Amino acid sequence: MNDFQFPTWVNRLARCLLIGTPIVIGYGAIVLMAGIAPETTHIGYAPEQPVPFSHKLHAGQLKMDCRYCHNTVEETAHAAIPPTQTCINCHSPADGNGGVALTAVHAGSSKLSEIHKSWANDTPVRWKRVHDLPDFVKFNHSAHVTRGVSCVSCHGRIDQTDVVSQVKTLSMATCLECHRNPTPHLRPSETVTNMEWVPPKPASEIGEIVKDHWNIKANQNCSTCHY
Amino acid sequence: MTDLDTQSEPKRYWRSLDELAEKPAFRDWMSREFPAAGSELPDSVSRRRWMQLMGASLAFGGMVGCRWEVEEFAPFTVRPQNRTPGEKQYFSSTWELAGTGRALTVTSIDGRPIKVDGNQQHPFTNGGSDAFDQASILALYDPDRSDGLFERPGKESIRRTWEEFDDALQSRIALHDKSRGRGLAFVCGASSSLTRKRLQQLIAARFPAMVWCEHEQSITRFEAEGSRMAFGESVRTHLDFRKAKVIACFDADPMGAHPAAMQMVRDWADRRDPDANWMNRLYAFESGMSLTGSNADHRLAMRSGDIPAFVARLETEVTAAIKSGKIVERASADAEKMPRVLAALVSDLVQHRGESVLMVGPNQPAEVHARIQRLNAMLGNVGATVTHTIDPIDSDIAVTAFPDLVQQMEAGQIETLVVLESNPAYGSPLSQRFATALKQIAFSVHAGVYRDETSKCCQWHVPAAHFLEAWGDCRTWDGTATIAQPLIAPLFGGRTTTELLSLFTRTGLTSSEQLVRRAFLSWSSETMKPPREAVRLKSESEWRKAVHDGFVEESDFAARDVTLESDLDERLPVGKLTKTEQSLSANEIELVINTDASVHDGRFSNNGWLQEVPDPMTKLTWDNAAIMGPSTAKRLGVSHEDVVQISVNQTTVSLPVFVLPGIALNSVQLALGYGRTSAGHVGGSVADDVNPVGVDVSPLLQDETGIIREAVTITPTGKQHKLATTQDHFAIDAVGFEAIGNRLGELVRTGTLKEYEEHPDFAAHRGPHHPPLESPWEEQQYDGHAWGMAIDLNRCIGCNACTVACQSENNVPIVGQDQVLAGREMSWLRIDRYFAGDPEDPEVAHQPVACHHCENAPCEQVCPVAATVHSDEGLNDMVYNRCVGTRYCANNCPYKVRRFNFFDYNASLAKPENALQKMILNPDVTVRSRGVMEKCTYCVQRIQDTKIDAKNNRRSIEDGEIVTACQQACPAKAIVFGDLNDKNSAVAKAHDDDRSYGMLSELNTKPRTKYLARIRNPHPWLAEEGV
Repeated sequence: MNDFQFPTWVNRLARCLLIGTPIVIGYGAIVLMAGIAPETTHIGYAPEQPVPFSHKLHAGQLKMDCRYCHNTVEETAHAAIPPTQTCINCHSPADGNGGVALTAVHAGSSKLSEIHKSWANDTPVRWKRVHDLPDFVKFNHSAHVTRGVSCVSCHGRIDQTDVVSQVKTLSMATCLECHRNPTPHLRPSETVTNMEWVPPKPASEIGEIVKDHWNIKANQNCSTCHY
Repeated sequence: MTDLDTQSEPKRYWRSLDELAEKPAFRDWMSREFPAAGSELPDSVSRRRWMQLMGASLAFGGMVGCRWEVEEFAPFTVRPQNRTPGEKQYFSSTWELAGTGRALTVTSIDGRPIKVDGNQQHPFTNGGSDAFDQASILALYDPDRSDGLFERPGKESIRRTWEEFDDALQSRIALHDKSRGRGLAFVCGASSSLTRKRLQQLIAARFPAMVWCEHEQSITRFEAEGSRMAFGESVRTHLDFRKAKVIACFDADPMGAHPAAMQMVRDWADRRDPDANWMNRLYAFESGMSLTGSNADHRLAMRSGDIPAFVARLETEVTAAIKSGKIVERASADAEKMPRVLAALVSDLVQHRGESVLMVGPNQPAEVHARIQRLNAMLGNVGATVTHTIDPIDSDIAVTAFPDLVQQMEAGQIETLVVLESNPAYGSPLSQRFATALKQIAFSVHAGVYRDETSKCCQWHVPAAHFLEAWGDCRTWDGTATIAQPLIAPLFGGRTTTELLSLFTRTGLTSSEQLVRRAFLSWSSETMKPPREAVRLKSESEWRKAVHDGFVEESDFAARDVTLESDLDERLPVGKLTKTEQSLSANEIELVINTDASVHDGRFSNNGWLQEVPDPMTKLTWDNAAIMGPSTAKRLGVSHEDVVQISVNQTTVSLPVFVLPGIALNSVQLALGYGRTSAGHVGGSVADDVNPVGVDVSPLLQDETGIIREAVTITPTGKQHKLATTQDHFAIDAVGFEAIGNRLGELVRTGTLKEYEEHPDFAAHRGPHHPPLESPWEEQQYDGHAWGMAIDLNRCIGCNACTVACQSENNVPIVGQDQVLAGREMSWLRIDRYFAGDPEDPEVAHQPVACHHCENAPCEQVCPVAATVHSDEGLNDMVYNRCVGTRYCANNCPYKVRRFNFFDYNASLAKPENALQKMILNPDVTVRSRGVMEKCTYCVQRIQDTKIDAKNNRRSIEDGEIVTACQQACPAKAIVFGDLNDKNSAVAKAHDDDRSYGMLSELNTKPRTKYLARIRNPHPWLAEEGV
């Protein structure tokens, strides 16, 4: 009686596997689909903001430069959300007697009420963050913008959107795609904020010139972004 | 080339007596990277608490789901000038510890201070900082901070408002107006602030009969008395280590406990360059093992009680040598160490007249201070290396001594007592009596950052502002006036000591800004006589400059000519001991009580960084102990970690024994500052069921001196207590030396000046001989930057400033005593302390060790997920988000510098109620979670910031522009960092230095951190004899 016999629990195991395998595969598929769904990658994430500010109007139709509001973008890591004062420069509220400055644009508009409230009470307007990288990723706007990477590259045609939404996944793949081959994404510094800019020559040729000029070495070290 | 083998045999270095004895316990520590298996739960974390922790993090994970938290921006309505969101700003500030100011530069980000460093521009401190400075910021965000006003009319304390307090106080003050201040008393710590001095004068003018007491357990009266004895006036003695060729310290610790330590360390280190014309020589005579002693060229262990006799003997011999004018003879070679060292010292002193410094510690009696002053004068040092100025502690207004105050309180003479940022109910032998008497006082107020032991006995408690929250001023040791500006509004509405004092003046409550301004700008307009050496600023622009710079230029004390009293030799005959100086008999045990290197006198008890930073010598964390030498322990019949009972005059304390090599025979060293019962959740709080850390030894103190010589009995209790010392943690395997056939080089390499002069590259030859090393991998080339570091062991004194600076910069968590016992401390930068030679009289070496950023990194080769990889600038990158926690890397790291997050040490920070604690974090460094490996990054965040900024402005990075946190903190400037590819950089030069060597470079790891060997400068006589 030295013959090997499968113990009886193997029958149970076989049954379990028969039922279990599709479940595991199905679960894997669901996880994968969930992982690449736009809801997860945040593409199209466009939360309602306290003020219905339209980039389409300001940056698109009025052709305001991005740096009028995001004035820290060339020097620092953050393209800081402007202080209320920046809005007030054009949209100053009516004074106590209902008098309106000559330069005031839409001084009485209800859409500006949050701005005016902030100005009157010295309280911040609480904007919702759209482009939110994980805390273990360090991104520096100035390092990109001064080297000729346009706003469009990550934020898309923001001059054509009313409500800001995320257009790129902002995943590591997005970053690496450009870091591996930066030239097609580079342009002369003065055109960085020009959304409508079309390269007069093939993009990579121009990129090559910019790359040489700035001695751009798009690092792919882990510590370029993670520390 | 001469044969290097004829040189002295490499020394064997050991970390602990366990290692020396090759005990199994040490082998166990060394052979396992993490001695307790990672899956084992520490005893202190019960299964239930563990599940709670896990439950909390799971719930958190589930709640967030796929979409992470929505973050909000809250931009300013009007952005302040020079303020850019997310960018760092630097402000000058200052604080003081026991009456001596420290000049700081504070880093602030988005309006919250996150890091404290020394002020580089300050003429005296030159940017040096110590562990206390570095950790001082932690108290700002301490959740145990007092968060409001409390009154205790009965048993319960009731929350009050400032208005209620002001009303209560004003009616009280009105009572004292009639009695001209009789019965009104103030207790505060020592301070050099001109603002406070001015207020003190105003109050004294209004209440001439008031009592003003400055209580500071760490300051003794002996130095002042000694100078009065010698010169007829109380002066402050300044020692210039820059000019001193011979330095002799008698029970003094100029590198550790001295208020001017930062400056003296820097000057001492500057004169330790073996390539310069001369190198100083440091002699230390002490009972304990101080930082100074551990760095001395010659150290002689003797009981503190024997120091006066030794000084008297030295005095006799120096006098004789000077009088006879003969060359000092060397002691016979078979004499004991003491006479030989003494003869060498005498000869050195006599040869270097006007170029030597003698100093004596604060615990020694006044007579010894006077003798040392006389010796310095006799040797021509006064006016050259030793200068004198006024003693600012010597106040213009009568100050009542603390014991007198306690007596007055007990006699019922004090009706109103105001305690300002002082805690006399703890840490003094009179604390108990003070606390009892305090409860009887009709009206008592305590102002403090914490609700401490004293606050518990007072009727009123009011929150004090942290120094980063208010205006203030003080003076560094040399007298330079430094000014503090607020970096953040008081988080809990606290007021400064000066603001509270202003309530007692006729002007009433005045803001701290106004008070500091007046102290500097408008003395002249007041009728009051300004204090001696007041600092006056003439204009608003001078004031603005002083605030910006953090100090007032050329405001140091003027040198003061002093002459020895003519009858000094009669009152204190040379070589003849007075009654207080008599030695004890050889067998008697003395106790020596000093402030602690971590918690000072207890004021830093609730500071986790300081509690967990290992003591420089014992490497003990979270505890104090009775430290004694091996022979003393043997004599007493006790061993390491045995609990003993120490009794002096019926006062008894019990604490564990720490056997440390090098402590004088029959001397037992104790540290103040432990055993606090109302410090907080870190330092101990009986009310919250948190056990005190360590044992309070202050009840043993008698009079003022920390040296207790009478009727000390020490008896074993039979109990044991585990001490969380890190001395054997992360030990590098060099024990099996012989067995491995000397393949490994020495980790610490030291030589004498003579050896260095004969063989400048001796350090490189201390490694084993091996064929050229070849790598099995294709080696990476570095064309751009190649970051590297060099640590000069000749400058490093082992003080811990770098360790705490690293903790602060890199968000390194603290783990607690139990985790330290399990070998899981997280500090990225540790300082290894090695002994060599006789356990009773060892030589000591300090060696900071952090990640070496090996070019052939063993850790990278074993990581299965490529979570640690090399950058093309030679950094060994650690990628937290990739790490799965196999810990292979740590096991393969020969330097043992990798740290693993066994628990989510930062979990509590995610909770909304801990928002305050979270503010301490450096936003430039990722906060690590459980299961992730971490280690030194060479402060990569600073490298990246500088690189981006340089390129934005189209410039190259200058050498010295990137400064790592440890380098910035180092008072001795022992660390240099920079680009090795830039051949002119300081670090490239250091790597090419003759003294440089790579630790374990025979493993072909190609470390980017190199050490410069330590060069000792022994007296030739003693070097020959091998003493």
